[in-house]
Amino acid sequence: MTIMTRRTLTGALASLTILVAGGATAQETFKVGAINPYSGPLALYGEETTRGYELGADAVNADGGILGKTVEILRGNAGNPQEGIAAVEQLAGRDNVDAFIGTYLSSVAGAASETALNYNKVYWDTNALATVLTERGLPNFIRSGPYALDFADASVEIVLNSLAGKLGKKPSELTVWLEHEESVYGTSIAERQKEQFEEAGVTVLGVGSHSFKSIDLTDTVLRAKSAGPDIFIETGYVPDGNLILRTMRNQDFAPKVTLFVGTGDTGETLEAMGNDGVEGLFVVSYPRPEISDEYGPGSDAYLEAYRTKYGKDPIAPQSMAAFVGFKIMADAINRAGSADPAAVAEALKTIDTPLGTYETGFGAQFDENKQNLRAHPAVIQWQDGVQMTVYPEAAAGGNKMVGFDN
Amino acid sequence: MSDLLTILVVGLLLGGIYGLVSMGLNVIFGVVRIVNFAQGELVMLGMYGAYLSWHLLGIDPYFSLIIVVPALFVLGMILQRFILQPLQNEPFMQIFATFGLLMLFQNLVLAITGGAGYSVPSDVARQVIRLGDINISLPRLIVLIAVVAVAVGVNWFVNNTMPGKAVRAVTQDRRSARLMGINVEWAFMLTFGAGAALAGLAGVLLAPIYTLSPQIGGNFILAAFAVVVLGGLGSVWGAFFGGFIIGFVEAFAGYYFDPALKHAIWFLIFIAVLIVRPGGLFGIAGAEEMGLREQD
Repeated sequence: MTIMTRRTLTGALASLTILVAGGATAQETFKVGAINPYSGPLALYGEETTRGYELGADAVNADGGILGKTVEILRGNAGNPQEGIAAVEQLAGRDNVDAFIGTYLSSVAGAASETALNYNKVYWDTNALATVLTERGLPNFIRSGPYALDFADASVEIVLNSLAGKLGKKPSELTVWLEHEESVYGTSIAERQKEQFEEAGVTVLGVGSHSFKSIDLTDTVLRAKSAGPDIFIETGYVPDGNLILRTMRNQDFAPKVTLFVGTGDTGETLEAMGNDGVEGLFVVSYPRPEISDEYGPGSDAYLEAYRTKYGKDPIAPQSMAAFVGFKIMADAINRAGSADPAAVAEALKTIDTPLGTYETGFGAQFDENKQNLRAHPAVIQWQDGVQMTVYPEAAAGGNKMVGFDN
Repeated sequence: MSDLLTILVVGLLLGGIYGLVSMGLNVIFGVVRIVNFAQGELVMLGMYGAYLSWHLLGIDPYFSLIIVVPALFVLGMILQRFILQPLQNEPFMQIFATFGLLMLFQNLVLAITGGAGYSVPSDVARQVIRLGDINISLPRLIVLIAVVAVAVGVNWFVNNTMPGKAVRAVTQDRRSARLMGINVEWAFMLTFGAGAALAGLAGVLLAPIYTLSPQIGGNFILAAFAVVVLGGLGSVWGAFFGGFIIGFVEAFAGYYFDPALKHAIWFLIFIAVLIVRPGGLFGIAGAEEMGLREQD
């Protein structure tokens, strides 16, 4: 019995020591839980996104940190909604993080942010695209990056403002085919594109959908080919996008412009198709670090910092949007004077920075659903195996589109 | 008219892919009476085998057949001997075991690759044969030729060679075959090895067509199960013709109706066949029950 008491006492003392030490650390660091997939099929992109946060934390720390504390990133691995909930519970309950940031996957963002609300923590999103996330009006959910409809709008904008002219046509003379993967992601983008194109007088010859797991997309490609559009627009993931490009080549389907939305701008597509296979392909995606420094001030320095820290070039442009998002979050929390969701939401109203403030060319102004209205994607074109930013023109910095007579 | 011909060719080539993927599944089911859920993952391993052969040895994916197919044959024999054979009298446990293998292979490849999509470069993959308005992609044509060769070859093997006859005997009645001096365990190992080797063959031939991911096996396997059940459980010709039926249905439904509906249409046909002929179009009546019947 005596022994038991002693053990209990020693245990209690040890716990107390840990608690005191923990308390001391908590005062010195501002902990941010980074919710992303670090294992599983999307680990590559989860890792890439979190590198943006890590670089963001470096930048913020060099600038005095958040609320005067040094920022520390704690990773929460989440490849699906259940894991998202578990990761948030662990980070909030065990590690006592001050705020959450994420997410490569929209489905994870949805579940994880609701769980974060139970702990009254801010869930700051930089990369999830689903429209519904901000439409929920969740008090703790803020999105600093572009979302699905921004991607749809950017694809319509480049067609109307630039490509139509390059093809020597008025919007009313232009024909497009809209292809999309069949989940809510591809469908919501295609619906928005159709609506906007029809409003501008562009003829939408057809809208096709397919599963991104499809084994064969010849039927899809042949339907588009027989319609004969000027512009073929595809929204999907990497496997189906690559299969469509391969099938287009096999079936000699070469519309004047092929425009991919969301994916198609990484080495995975280049490796599958070769330089000549992607030549001229346009892709709407996150602004890349190579964009002109005037459009995205600091983008060159960001690329340098990335190379120094990780010893290579970014594998995908997501990380720079994550980096910028992290900085805006730090700004918002510092303005609020605390990480309390209500205070941060209130502080958002005071943020009003013009486009071209951040490395991605983003500015910051939030609507009532806490969606940043000044975050826009950019468009690249593959030229000789390199992704060249060609739109908006300010971001292109002198890069020219190829494959047109004028 | 040219549309119709094009779609016919598309369906034929697609049928070749389905047939080839289903062949190994059906060989294993026909003889060992195991629904091998990990068959798609064996195809996936074959694909990565082609990638590795190119990456490490610099050889064209088509030449990697001589490495990948024997390697998967051995892997199949090992799986049968050390995982499935100890569970021989527990059909349900065998199914769970193959499901476990599915998860194991998928996650293993995931851990190694980190989920990046790989492509296997091959000059052959870019070749297109043009006949009038019809474009035939060479790698798909190779798959079609392979599936015909495999169907004829497997059929010849089981009908004209002693090991083939032994396998047939085991299929018909394990106990009598054992009494005749046939080593049933060896027959099973050979068959599972052959089924895995066929998956390896399919994987290598499909690798130049797709972007490789650890989950890609799953994209094929759903269709393969439909092909096998439709064509006939345990019948080589069933998998062969079943593949073409699904291929044609998919191509026609996808082009003339809506690509989004094509899977719904072939599953409707699948259910209709199951109701009318539960053993499949080429299957032996009652074959659908054999898997769970006491055999020893």
